[in-house]
Amino acid sequence: MRFRAKIVDLACLNHFSRIINTIAKLAKTCILRLTVCKLYFILSDKVANGGASMWCELSQGNFFDEFQMEGVAAEHNEIYLELVPENLSRALKTAQNAKAVKIKLTNKHCPCLSVAVELPSLSSSSRIVTHDIPVGVIPRRMWNDFREPSVPDFDVSIYLPALKTMKSVVERMKNLSNFIVIEANLSGEMNLKIETDLVSVTTHFKDLGNPPWASEDGCQSSAQDRDLESMAEACIDIKKLQQLLAGQQVNPTKALCNIVRKRIVHFILLHEEVSLQYFIPAVA
Amino acid sequence: AAMKCVIGGAQLRVFGRAIHAIARISDEFWFDPVEKGLALRSVNSSRSAYACVFFSSMFFQHYCWTAVSQPCQKEKQLSLPCKLIIKSVLPVFRCVNVLERNVEKCSISTNPSDHHITFQLLCRHGVVKTYNLTFQECDPLQAVFAKHMCPNILKVHSRLLADVMIHFPTSQEEITLSVTPMKVCFKSYTEEDTDFSRTMLTEIQLSPEEFDYFQVGVDSEVTFCLKELRGLLAFSEAASVPVSIHFDRCGKPIAFSIEDLLLEASFILATLCEAEKEAASPEPACCPRPWDSNSDTATSKKPQQKGNTPSINSAKPPSALAKQEVKNIPRGTERDVPGTAGAATAKAAGGEATEAPYEKNSYLYKYCIFQFHSLFFGAISYKEKEAIGDTFQSLVTASDTEEEFGALQSSQV
Repeated sequence: MRFRAKIVDLACLNHFSRIINTIAKLAKTCILRLTVCKLYFILSDKVANGGASMWCELSQGNFFDEFQMEGVAAEHNEIYLELVPENLSRALKTAQNAKAVKIKLTNKHCPCLSVAVELPSLSSSSRIVTHDIPVGVIPRRMWNDFREPSVPDFDVSIYLPALKTMKSVVERMKNLSNFIVIEANLSGEMNLKIETDLVSVTTHFKDLGNPPWASEDGCQSSAQDRDLESMAEACIDIKKLQQLLAGQQVNPTKALCNIVRKRIVHFILLHEEVSLQYFIPAVA
Repeated sequence: AAMKCVIGGAQLRVFGRAIHAIARISDEFWFDPVEKGLALRSVNSSRSAYACVFFSSMFFQHYCWTAVSQPCQKEKQLSLPCKLIIKSVLPVFRCVNVLERNVEKCSISTNPSDHHITFQLLCRHGVVKTYNLTFQECDPLQAVFAKHMCPNILKVHSRLLADVMIHFPTSQEEITLSVTPMKVCFKSYTEEDTDFSRTMLTEIQLSPEEFDYFQVGVDSEVTFCLKELRGLLAFSEAASVPVSIHFDRCGKPIAFSIEDLLLEASFILATLCEAEKEAASPEPACCPRPWDSNSDTATSKKPQQKGNTPSINSAKPPSALAKQEVKNIPRGTERDVPGTAGAATAKAAGGEATEAPYEKNSYLYKYCIFQFHSLFFGAISYKEKEAIGDTFQSLVTASDTEEEFGALQSSQV
């Protein structure tokens, strides 16, 4: 199993750092899956994670100048590593003006991702900062736990309001309640509601638009029969939602959510080079 | 003694940073005004870190010191330094960056008769903030360290050190500095029982060219406490003075110092001692038993070797520096009898090293031995003329801390 990659372009490096920062806000530990063309950051929906799960996918070609990997075996040319994304975030944090960043899989005291940052210096030779981030290698028999989640059979799909606005609303609501209700309908309306003994607060958004999903096996056609005004709602942990919104450092090109009534809310945030899906289960 | 001084606006920031830097060492510090200036000193409870900042009288807008004759016992100095609780002083210099903008000057005056020190901040718009702090009289504290005896000396602007330290998390306690004539490397310290699967390790490699002065006489790897150092870095940046690093092999103290016309500061930190890998004996051949004050006569260098003590078996060939080391009488332990032997030693060493530096600005320890002096051990022989006692007994020092660390670092030598 081998992996080595290099980023030389500063803009790519900053973009990559921002993505890692976002991931670090969502997950304490996650899986990094490497294939020849892509990198995936995966959080599976185990109880330990509070039931939330994440799937983030990026094309390596958009970030790395060099990227070579050899998986566990020829037919399974992939690598699955468990790591703490905060470590990676920290390693990249001080690489703002690096000449180059090299990442490779090594095995010193234990398997590590070694991030070597080459920094400019006053002398002829560069300064090299190396961070060894310990990783756990996930054996092949467990790879099935980390498959891409399928889009749930949702009741409503709707574009999100401006994330900045949504974030400030949710942040204030977080002070009042631990849970938030998201409801939306197929007429582009969404409400965020909290309700406690003392107070209930609702923020209404409208004209958000509903994304068109290609109809498959009739499940969407039934949506047309559905009342366009009827709200589908789910009550979720407000902290998870706040973490998702707070972690966004750049405005996505597209941001939408799919709501399965009382079951789960599926968020999709699309940027040019990276897509992020985040699932928050509804609480009973 | 009574002292009154005034710190002008621009220098307030520097003074404030010095207080903050010292605060990282301990909760209390020694406030010691002398004729030539004001010394602030601090040592931590395990005696593994010592800081001294000396502001010459020229640093102040106004500095006035008068010896007040008091009836005193034989052992006490004419003017006793006093001890202040840092927490009481820090608020005076809180928000150092803002201080400069709002405060025009700060005056400090001591009143030995009623045990008060008064800090007065004269701020804009006629606001005057007065802080009256009580002090305790205490034993003098001084440490001396043979900087010029150190084989390894690096000098660099504090900006570079700050740029290096920024790569380590603020929670990083200890780091290791490793040098050869070809390269310099700062890295996270790992103990033998570190759980590598959970610890992120950082290492920074620098070329010798980055240093203003680079002298490596002996390849060495020294581990010291980063937290204690960060204060000094901020202080030296405020003072805009380059930092000199003097050190030797592991186990010996490392000194970070800055010096210019107006002030001098030294932060002396103990370094971890490494175990002897080739120790044949079942006994831990390593550090915790450094030398008695008596052993200075030996040509040994590492704590592991030594003449008088039969218990130490493993010997390393004395290096070329062994001779020099003789004069380096590092630390005794508490168990050592600070008897006349110690005094004699110190004196001998003192004799050699009392050169020019002494006359200059003798507060800062261009001098031989890393030892502490305290009346507590009852072995002062004080000479009134010399403000710095070169006849100090060796005291508890770093060896205690090193035991706690139980370092088993692999030897690079």
